[in-house]
Amino acid sequence: MSDTVQAIKVQPTVRAWRERGTRRPSALLMTGIAVALLAGLPVVITVVQAIQGGAGAAKTAFTASATPTLFLHTIELAALATPASGVLGLTTAWLVERTRVPGRRIWPLLLVAPLAVPLFVTSYAWATLSPSLTGFWGAAGIVTFSYYPIVFLLVAASLRVMDPALEETARSLGLGARRTFLRVVLPQLRAALLGGMLLVLLDTLVEFDAFVALKFRTLSVNIYAQYQLGFSAAGAAALALFSTLICVVVLLGEYRLRGGANYTRISQGARRGVVRYALGRATVPALLGLGLLVAVSLGVPLGLLVHWFAQGTSTAGAPAGAGTLWSATLTTVLLGAAAGLLAVAMALPVAILAVRRSGRLANTIERSVYLSFALPDLVAAIALAYGASHVAHFLYGTVALMVLAEAMLFVPFAVVALRGTIGLIEPSLEESGRALGLGPLRTVWRVTVPLARPGLAAAGVLVFTFVLGDLGTAQVLLPPGLTTLGTQFWADSGTVAFAAAAPFAAVLVVLALLSTYVLMSRFGRARGFGEA
Amino acid sequence: MAELHCDEITASYGHGAVLSGVDLVVPDGTLTAILGASGSGKTTLLRVIMGFIAQQQGTVIVGGKVVARAGEVHLPPEKRSIGYVAQEGALYPHLSVAENVSFGLPRRERKESGRAFEVLELVGLDVRYAQRRPHELSGGEQRRVALARALAPRPPLVLLDEPFSGLDAALRAETRAAVLHALAAQGTTAVLVTHDQAEALSMGREVGVLMAGRLIQAAAPAVLYRTPLTLDLARFVGEAVVVPGHAGGGTVSCPLGELPLVDREVGGPVDAMIRPEQIQVHPAEPGTSDRGVMATVTARTFYGPDSVLRLQLDGLPDSVSARVLGHDAPAPGERAQLTVSGEVMAYPRSGSSAAIGESSEPTALLTSR
Repeated sequence: MSDTVQAIKVQPTVRAWRERGTRRPSALLMTGIAVALLAGLPVVITVVQAIQGGAGAAKTAFTASATPTLFLHTIELAALATPASGVLGLTTAWLVERTRVPGRRIWPLLLVAPLAVPLFVTSYAWATLSPSLTGFWGAAGIVTFSYYPIVFLLVAASLRVMDPALEETARSLGLGARRTFLRVVLPQLRAALLGGMLLVLLDTLVEFDAFVALKFRTLSVNIYAQYQLGFSAAGAAALALFSTLICVVVLLGEYRLRGGANYTRISQGARRGVVRYALGRATVPALLGLGLLVAVSLGVPLGLLVHWFAQGTSTAGAPAGAGTLWSATLTTVLLGAAAGLLAVAMALPVAILAVRRSGRLANTIERSVYLSFALPDLVAAIALAYGASHVAHFLYGTVALMVLAEAMLFVPFAVVALRGTIGLIEPSLEESGRALGLGPLRTVWRVTVPLARPGLAAAGVLVFTFVLGDLGTAQVLLPPGLTTLGTQFWADSGTVAFAAAAPFAAVLVVLALLSTYVLMSRFGRARGFGEA
Repeated sequence: MAELHCDEITASYGHGAVLSGVDLVVPDGTLTAILGASGSGKTTLLRVIMGFIAQQQGTVIVGGKVVARAGEVHLPPEKRSIGYVAQEGALYPHLSVAENVSFGLPRRERKESGRAFEVLELVGLDVRYAQRRPHELSGGEQRRVALARALAPRPPLVLLDEPFSGLDAALRAETRAAVLHALAAQGTTAVLVTHDQAEALSMGREVGVLMAGRLIQAAAPAVLYRTPLTLDLARFVGEAVVVPGHAGGGTVSCPLGELPLVDREVGGPVDAMIRPEQIQVHPAEPGTSDRGVMATVTARTFYGPDSVLRLQLDGLPDSVSARVLGHDAPAPGERAQLTVSGEVMAYPRSGSSAAIGESSEPTALLTSR
């Protein structure tokens, strides 16, 4: 009798202990928190910088830089370019994934390629093409035509994984192509579309190199100017924080807007191809539209590169030596590869947490990683340089710091890419691993990682591609004596030595197109890649 | 409402025919179950009728109207007025139950929820489900909502693609009953595709069996079960005891005795097909050895209401299965006497030409239904 009482008394305690046991912060969670803290570090350092300058410096910076006007510029630009990218990305993705448009294999490659061409190369191409392409319209144009591929990628991936039965049912209920799109497809795409437009918007807010080339001033261009002219580091930090604040507001807004849009799949759905629409008489206009888009977004920068080359060979001034070109290429490739590996390693715990745990903590970790994206890359780089010089001097001026900065900058992309892949892994596979006696970390290593390999590779190549096109970080953190393709192009084109700059841009573009091709042909078709 | 006619449907996905020459007639207001293993082409047949796939040959007629004739007419799916219930339901995750159900209605009717409530009630769902989201429903409730959505615009014909897959046994039975009730109440003609024999036999007014893209037999469930056209079909539709024998004079002589044949014209060496429940197992009593064939129970599987016995026939290599009531089944090792009730099917041995004449071809059975 007393034994029974004892048992009843003990049992709840044991159960409570066990439950607490499973909720004990796991190694995964600790890693995730560490990544989030690391990602938030530049913001913290920037805050410290701003506070050190005090209210006076901030006020001076704000008044001196005509901030309200710049703010308005920035908002106008984003308000035009973001929806435009959304429309272009959505339309092209639907054409490629849902219609029988000719050349469905080649269009995705051509439509994504503009993203691989560094924005500062594109903007120089536009600026040299015609002075009328600078200023607001030029800026809006290059942002739209260079960033719509982000929306295209995410929406196309979403379209591919959508249960075909949803659309089939709509048609059985009497809805034609247009109404099926509006009432069934579009609502399912909300998450991908908003996610893509969010990335475009954030990119627009923090971009500066390209706008410098186009002589269009936005907030981040001004921050850059403040740093460059050495007016006041503290004032610039305050401006940067203001810009970051806008990004945070945007992130929160998107989060609320998305709300219930992150639809859970309620069934596995049918595993079969979708019924594609015949375009009929619309085939020719569709092909013309796609062709025009590719001509503008890809043809202009590539065409100008060829033109610069031709100029370079016709004029006596010899282009840069092959030695410089080779060493810059090697530096760029190694930097990109290292940053890609590091970014994937950082993104993996965050993505697993985001998919597998739906708690507030996991959510906060994911969001704070995205926060690093809200800080202009130049500001983040300067913050890291400042932090290293004050606290971790051994890192200052090293390649390691440069790699870390690049990885931190592009970790959000890696998280987005990995989320989709990991979301498609049945939790039961991981649970079976646990049941077979593997610990949580070993389960990640032996079950999740092998299954997510395509996603991991895709995330790595994605980061590599972005590092190629990044200039701000390299301008601040690249150790003296080293050059990348980007910094060399920037230096030469700044002195209007386009012929000298052309080889660097050409190698850069070729590398970027190659990695994009690898990405698209190997992983672009994989289920769920890039699914927001 | 509408009768469905499929005439000589042949369809392929580029590599080999998935359907070849399928003829199917579903009378107005009835449900026909299409039974087939995976890969037999049953879903393809549904998709051809629906219009998601264009057939290479043949005609689909719904209610006297040609909706598809190979090479001539191909009405798009949305113009065919055919209801469709996809596997697992395919409910729209972004809409509530009521919005899902009224999805196919004209805008005016969508605003007032009268019709939605009506159909929800028809499938046996309480109106309080109306504001829920699909992911808040159980599997069975999701299937009912999917049917309600298909029925809401009052289509004359509804196609159901494995509508009960993934449901547990109890829920399956309950959901089946709800579906049959709703279809009957609306007088809707229906085609249901399934790989589950019991489901096909219990739900269809008629059952058609697809094997490797061919409709082997379409008949009332009892006819199909008792007199399947081929031995393969017999085995696919239910459990079959097959023993060698010699037919002649309206009976077959086989290890289980001299048994009367369904088709009295069959003759020569045959495979006799007996359903396990036709074999009756009696306790072995001394002095009654003339009352059937002696056997020993070698295994017993208990299912609750009934048991399946494995029996070794005396002095013969053959062993047979028998389905008997669960509560008084003999145990392994016990002796038993076997008799067979009812007529049995006999199929001329493959490779033998002993069948007598044209009329002994089992095709004659089709007309006898």
